[in-house]
Amino acid sequence: MAKSLGIFVTSPQNMRHIMGVTRAAKAKGSKVKVFFTWYGVHLTKCPDFQTLCELADEVSICADSYKKCGYDPIGDIPKGLVAKDMATQGQHGAIIEDYDCYLTL
Amino acid sequence: MKLLNVYRSEPNDDTKKLVEIVSEGREAEAFALNVESPDYDALVDKIFAADQTICWW
Amino acid sequence: MSKKVGFLLANKEYTLDGTRSALGLAVENMYAYAYVLNNELTEVSDYHKENIEWIRDMEGEVYTTVDANVENLGMPKITIEEIGKQLRDLDYIIPYGIMRSDKS
Repeated sequence: MAKSLGIFVTSPQNMRHIMGVTRAAKAKGSKVKVFFTWYGVHLTKCPDFQTLCELADEVSICADSYKKCGYDPIGDIPKGLVAKDMATQGQHGAIIEDYDCYLTL
Repeated sequence: MKLLNVYRSEPNDDTKKLVEIVSEGREAEAFALNVESPDYDALVDKIFAADQTICWW
Repeated sequence: MSKKVGFLLANKEYTLDGTRSALGLAVENMYAYAYVLNNELTEVSDYHKENIEWIRDMEGEVYTTVDANVENLGMPKITIEEIGKQLRDLDYIIPYGIMRSDKS
């Protein structure tokens, strides 16, 4: 069985890598979770973000970062996410505790 | 200890120094993401095979 | 066993949030260490100062290579070589955000 993979996104520059790695891992039968924080949350506005949410097993973002980046975490939930995915750094902790492999992008 | 060093950009002197120290005496591989078409399939295989992956800036 | 995690903070635009993220793991019962590389922190709010203190209270630390951060924020000084040695003992190493293009 394929290992699971958690991706911690802290940069606003790596959407193509997030998509590429997630697609490749899912093709191998891996469980993939992605958590976006700080300026990484700007990637929720990329056209590919909703596709990522469909591809990956779990996607969540830091609601506090989203707010600090000028977005409304209650009235402007990114397409592909629901209210519970507007989360905290605890999601990063969950990646470290629960996933076999880890990648920062 | 099998280490995978992934690079998102060309490493500067500090990054090179850290990689050198962290990799010393370990089985270390490198993978560059700062190319036109990275082989993500190969990258995921390497991540799964490694004990630790560090994705440098 | 508690995981050991190190945040490498090389860009002023990302450093303070990186310490917040480190604290987020400290409260999840992990050992969180942050390393502020080559960027002098100015306009540090009480909130962020408290975050740094809280990391220390939870047996982590925020180190820096920058003298001004040692003087202004009481961060222990560390060299790149010493950081490298510490990183060898950590379970997760997180180069946070993006690297600056220079050291100014």
